[in-house]
Amino acid sequence: MDLMLFAPEITLVLTGLAVLLIGLFLPTGSKNILGYLASLGILIALLFTVSSLGTQATAFYGTVSIDALSQFFKIVFLVVALLFAISGIKYTEGNSHTEEFFTLGIFATIGMMFVASANDLVVLFVAFELASLATYALAGFEKKNPRSLEAAMKYFIIGSLSAALLLFGISYIYGATGTTSIPAIAANMDVLVSSPMGLVAVVLLIAGFGFKIALVPFHMWAPDTYQGAPSVVSALLAAGSKKMGIVAAFKVFIVALIALQAEWQIAFAILAVITMTYGNIVALNQTSVKRMLAYSSLAQAGYISMAFVVLTPMALGGGILYALSHGFMKAGAFIATAAVVYMVLSENKDSTDPDHIDNFRGLGKRMPVTALSMTIFVFALAGIPLTAGYISKFVLFSSTIQAGFVWLAVIAILNSAISLYYYAKVVKYMYFLPTNSEKISEPLPYTIALIIAVIGVLVIGFWSEPFIYWSMEAAKVLLIPGGI
Amino acid sequence: MMPILSMIVLIPLIIAALILLTKTKEQARFLALTGTVIVLLLTVYMYFNFDSTIADNQFVEFIQWIPSLGISYHLGVDGISMPLILLNAIVLPLLIIFTWNDERKSPNKFYALILATEGAVIGVFTALDFFLFYVFWELTLIPLFFLVSIWGGPNKHHASIKFFIYTHVASLVMLLGIFGIYFAAWNLTGTPSMDIPYLLAQFQFIESGIAKDMIFLALLFGFIVKIPSFPFHSWLPDAYTEAPTAGSVLFVMLKIGGYGLFKIMLPILPFTASPNLMISIMAVLGSVSIIYGAFLALSQKDLKRMVAYSSVSHMGYVTLGAAGLVSLSVSGAMFQQFSHGLIMSVMFMSCGIINNATGTRIINDLGGLAQKMPKLAVIMVLAFMASLGLPGLSGFIAEVSVLAGAFVNLPAYVIIALMAIVITAAYHLWALQRAMFGVFNEKLGTVLDINGYQTFSMGVIAILILYFGLNPSPVLEMMLTSSEQIVSLMAAMGV
Repeated sequence: MDLMLFAPEITLVLTGLAVLLIGLFLPTGSKNILGYLASLGILIALLFTVSSLGTQATAFYGTVSIDALSQFFKIVFLVVALLFAISGIKYTEGNSHTEEFFTLGIFATIGMMFVASANDLVVLFVAFELASLATYALAGFEKKNPRSLEAAMKYFIIGSLSAALLLFGISYIYGATGTTSIPAIAANMDVLVSSPMGLVAVVLLIAGFGFKIALVPFHMWAPDTYQGAPSVVSALLAAGSKKMGIVAAFKVFIVALIALQAEWQIAFAILAVITMTYGNIVALNQTSVKRMLAYSSLAQAGYISMAFVVLTPMALGGGILYALSHGFMKAGAFIATAAVVYMVLSENKDSTDPDHIDNFRGLGKRMPVTALSMTIFVFALAGIPLTAGYISKFVLFSSTIQAGFVWLAVIAILNSAISLYYYAKVVKYMYFLPTNSEKISEPLPYTIALIIAVIGVLVIGFWSEPFIYWSMEAAKVLLIPGGI
Repeated sequence: MMPILSMIVLIPLIIAALILLTKTKEQARFLALTGTVIVLLLTVYMYFNFDSTIADNQFVEFIQWIPSLGISYHLGVDGISMPLILLNAIVLPLLIIFTWNDERKSPNKFYALILATEGAVIGVFTALDFFLFYVFWELTLIPLFFLVSIWGGPNKHHASIKFFIYTHVASLVMLLGIFGIYFAAWNLTGTPSMDIPYLLAQFQFIESGIAKDMIFLALLFGFIVKIPSFPFHSWLPDAYTEAPTAGSVLFVMLKIGGYGLFKIMLPILPFTASPNLMISIMAVLGSVSIIYGAFLALSQKDLKRMVAYSSVSHMGYVTLGAAGLVSLSVSGAMFQQFSHGLIMSVMFMSCGIINNATGTRIINDLGGLAQKMPKLAVIMVLAFMASLGLPGLSGFIAEVSVLAGAFVNLPAYVIIALMAIVITAAYHLWALQRAMFGVFNEKLGTVLDINGYQTFSMGVIAILILYFGLNPSPVLEMMLTSSEQIVSLMAAMGV
């Protein structure tokens, strides 16, 4: 086994431990350096991953695989982690728990990356839990803020419940097929298909993953958690952790349980339609920007779930591309909100609603870079042409039509029409409503993270060819079982 | 050769971004004028190098963009798009001059949005790839939405949202139609392509008749909402009326709906499963728009709203002319788009001036304005006469060609439309008589005539209306070439 295959993960583990250890010996005032160290480690891991695109291998007795799918999702997670770490530099400034913040973020990322590589249900579950536990703690990072604690509590309880359901579902699969290896399950599906156990397993797994992906009706935790958690952490949750749920569901349903396709396909069709419609309609009336982004995140998960229904290479490629684009757009939008929250709190420490949309008034004048980036992110989320959001929607929706699910495409397209309304509202507040407040200097780390995300959104939007190619390659891994 | 089409599309967009960075009104308007004048010069250069005897696309630019989806950066102009680009290029600098001395909040955003609209509209006229076409099509929506919702009248929020939802839903339906033709062709040939000429040529090979009709209707819906045509016109009076004057003029310049009819609908019409049904649908929509719009205009109390409804009525000629399917009516409809753009610009400018000078647009509250505003009165009367179709002005040529041409195939519809002519004359003359002539209404207070900038820009457009009324051939020739090609295709299919 070639250890170089795991160079990204090894780099991250070392970085995480180094950050934790060095943090012990630094006075609070100079803990800033940890953020730079963490960002550097993630950047190196990202470069390792990009350079290994196209590699195919398995390791650890076939329980972990390196292929186009895993590498693509690792890039998604690492990009989100990088944005998280860079903006975290400013967020944790002067905080004595800085090292925990970055270490937890890095360990969550490692968990997500192993989910993307997992070829065995036990590895998948352990990695899933690693990522989840780290993010539970992160959501409650502001220990004195009741909202942050509520967010963490809610997320923890519901997350644990979903993990239990997941494990219960996995146990049925193991009981019926006698194996936890994903390709082996696919090969031994007869028992599951012929007995009601298969159906029970599918129900439990959909519920388990549904919580993580936040599909309606398993979404109740998401708006509260995204709103209450620190914005930078919400970025990691919405853009990273949610994608972990999606890649895990891809592997379990499309690779392992393909023989039960008839059972879960219809369930995903219903969930996708309900989720996107509910998310968009509830988002219309939100006054908290983070809550609005949370509901829009539901809607986006609904779109991505269409890939489970359509199941053509193009649709899966579209879903995977959407995951990457959404990583940039949603993480960017949350980080822009984080910059605004930072600004509001530095002006008035006791502000209870720092992410209220009124705080975005006149942002175009007050924080021009943040406002412009936010505009690009929300337009991308709405699917305005020449952004990553548009090309992803284009591939995904058009593949839906190609496969004959015209009704689904029509619902999705109408949903994107609705969504433009609440996204445009943010732009209106930023550029067209007057404000009396002064221009302020924008915190540099947030600005750097925003610019990286903007570049990502625009590059995918303009120069889409390589991204489409790699997402299609990733989709092929799912559709050719044992093709590893 | 220089990429002239890319330049006329991108220069306004780039300048729009630059204008956003300016601080004062003077800088903003100067940059806006520079940008529009550059586009005008490039367009004039292009016009003189344009071969109006062939119907092919000219000045073509082609670059592969996303090959795995068959998307390319493909631009070109033909006899359908060239006059419309010319129209935009001529009116936009005059519009900037018209607003030269106006006071308004955030002038930099105002001019930036105007320039962005220009770039996007020209983009629609030049795109030869459906992906690109849709990108520009959607891009026209955003600046206009903001122009109405920020600088609009008292009901601006209602009007802008209505406009947005109406046209956004329509473009999404159109997108479904585009997907339909794209995938049908992909399944037939095995290679994806978004190229408009290629896909239009492939349309006839689609096997399922229902699929062909559905694609046609989806695309048609997208276009007629933009035109707009009865029964999807109700966003227009609100949006046109509430928009600031410059916004109303930009709406008038937005001839992308009619353009879609000629460029995309007519070439595939003969290959639909039931071409005669489609022709009837278009003819009904066109003739009903003409007469219904005229009646609505007659009953309006607000001058600007009346002009807005008259626009519905006039755009009905475009739909009817397209459905007429003879060279005369199709080219007449194209010319109607061009002439209507010029005439309506002046009419909306007049409405804006009257509103600013008197504080009201209610026709009955006005009166005798011609005594106080003689310069405005001259230009406005000319525009109203052109709008009601006085011979010697450009509106007459367009409408007569449409009616005479369409009579060959659609006599019944033309007779219906003819009845509207009396009403059209009535509401124009009645409004003029009440607003401009008669006894001056002293309650209006001091009323000042138009300033030099306004006189210049309105005067130039008025002269063009007269010029194209006497000598339409500079643009009509290329329209005829294009429409003859379309019609010959029909004839070959026996429609």
